[in-house]
Amino acid sequence: MDALTSLFAGFETALNPLNLLWALIGVTLGTLVGVLPGIGPALTVALLLPVTAKLPPVSAFIMFAGIYYGGMFGGSTTSILLNTPGESASIITALEGNKMARKGRAAAALATAAIGSFIAGTIGTLLLTFAAPAIADIAVQITPSAKFALIMLAFVTISATFGGSPLRGLLSLFVGLAIGLVGTDLQSGQARFALGRPELLDGIDFITVVIGLFAIGETLYVASRLRKGKDSVIKLEGGATMSKQDWRRSWGPWLRGTALGFPFGAIPAGGAEIPTFLSYTLEKRLSKHPEEFGQGAIEGVAGPEAANNASAAGVLVPLLTLGLPTSATAAILLAAFQQYGLQPGPLLFITNGDLVWGLIASLYIGNVMLLALNLPLAPVWARLLLIPRPFLYAGILVFSTVGVYSLNNSVFDLGLLALFGVIGYGMRRFDFPVTPAIIGVVLGPTAEAQFRTALQQSNGDFSIFVRQPFTAFLMLCVLAALVVPQVLKFRAARQAA
Amino acid sequence: MTQPPSTPPARPGVSVPDLLVALALTALGIALFVGSREIPFGINAVVGPRVFPLIVSVGLTALGVLLTVNVLRGERAEPAAEEDTDLDAPVNLAAPGIILGGFVLGAAVLTTAGFVIGTAIMYFSVAWAFGERRVGLMTGVALAVALVTYVAFTRGLGLSLPPGVLKGIL
Repeated sequence: MDALTSLFAGFETALNPLNLLWALIGVTLGTLVGVLPGIGPALTVALLLPVTAKLPPVSAFIMFAGIYYGGMFGGSTTSILLNTPGESASIITALEGNKMARKGRAAAALATAAIGSFIAGTIGTLLLTFAAPAIADIAVQITPSAKFALIMLAFVTISATFGGSPLRGLLSLFVGLAIGLVGTDLQSGQARFALGRPELLDGIDFITVVIGLFAIGETLYVASRLRKGKDSVIKLEGGATMSKQDWRRSWGPWLRGTALGFPFGAIPAGGAEIPTFLSYTLEKRLSKHPEEFGQGAIEGVAGPEAANNASAAGVLVPLLTLGLPTSATAAILLAAFQQYGLQPGPLLFITNGDLVWGLIASLYIGNVMLLALNLPLAPVWARLLLIPRPFLYAGILVFSTVGVYSLNNSVFDLGLLALFGVIGYGMRRFDFPVTPAIIGVVLGPTAEAQFRTALQQSNGDFSIFVRQPFTAFLMLCVLAALVVPQVLKFRAARQAA
Repeated sequence: MTQPPSTPPARPGVSVPDLLVALALTALGIALFVGSREIPFGINAVVGPRVFPLIVSVGLTALGVLLTVNVLRGERAEPAAEEDTDLDAPVNLAAPGIILGGFVLGAAVLTTAGFVIGTAIMYFSVAWAFGERRVGLMTGVALAVALVTYVAFTRGLGLSLPPGVLKGIL
């Protein structure tokens, strides 16, 4: 039962009054920014990075944990009251929750989302507590060649297997990899693609790329095709509450959604989108009144919301144990670790155990805080949705500027920010997914380091990638992830013809 | 939810913007390849600093060529349906232009005029691009947001942002 001992030590760290305060600030800011329309969880975390810049690592990560879960909570509020999903994982919540809200059941929709998120988050964090040390123990023995193969698998599944267009996903990934190459090669001290600019010798800050692609790209794109007319924000009287019958209809979907969401978050399968859809279909099939689905069925909010949050906890398993981000938000968390000179992975449990366990303990605490904040304060968050779009997007741009400028106090970085903003605009206009590029920037340098270490050990013999059984197995998975979807598509097309 | 796109996906002919994007990606791949060739092999390393860039640039070029072929065969990208967007509205490229212009101007004067003035210019230009025309209100809000942000980040969080012309007052 080491996990429990470590967790209690983690609670000692997290329950220190000052850290409790940071957790509270984290969940409040996370919810606040997450509620704003147009800002998904990934951007929430990226925009709030500079807020933690001057904190000691343990406090910073406790605050991050709060921001991470808070951003998820905030997103569901927006989906229900405004019918504008901040990210693909909230599409279902927007569909069914907004229908409920239009029928005057906004309070129940918000309550089932909040309580479901709490239950899923807590169960997910429990699973993380026990799974993470066990996986970390095994992960210590993974060879560099297998680590490289694992990263390749993440690359392929995130960019090609689950996206709409594998070619566009891979192109996005390779552009990300190219961005990650800029700067000084750490092994040889050789400058690469720095174009003679001293600012580029340190490489391009990941945060600049994320904020450029997400925030600036989104602002430019929305401005070019602005929807005229007023939003219909649902008015909310009083806090979020549920009737007895709502409880009876919610608890099953909560648990089933959690069971679906957690494993999907833990494998590199493109985040929370798939389990939320699966959960919705499952609830519809199990329901005694399937005719209500699409008209505001509470199960259609409870299940997918739980799946979404359980997946957010699941994402932390590969992130903390292997240093492998499986979503854009996880990639930003990984970059935050790297800013503090910490490399998430099995060794982190040994070298910085107090930090990791403090982080995990604060996830439990953050979940309780979020429930306490969200049920009574729902009307307050709802007021934020009334900010007129021009002022909202202008504010996002100012915050983006602060975040990027404060990295190095350099105007050159702001030029890069504008450049990535234009690229982000192009990606939205020409249907390139943004997440693969983000993963490419973050994991590219790690992939290269593992690739080179593996070949150093084998004296340049490339067969090392197929000789070791585990590496070979992973490489087969990579191949399958590339080929199988194409074959299925081809067969479907032939049958249709 | 998403609205159905207004343009039918299978319009005949080659879409010029799509072709330009595909060619630009291919060109980027080729440029990276040429650049990678200039990176030295590295000394006594089995895999030097140029191997990985070569792999990335070859991959990017190949994918770019594939996309170019697809576009020439008539494939075209569907613009993303984001929040607050209307895909049926005519595309207005002036608005992103105004935002970029305001951003570049604000960034250029950030160190001389200072953070508050610089970001207020950015704020104003975005609000204008999004169709807000109450100039007095916009100026007031822009300055207030910039000032509050400056004070919060410098006093509250200990970051250093350039005070510029307001040096001594702040």
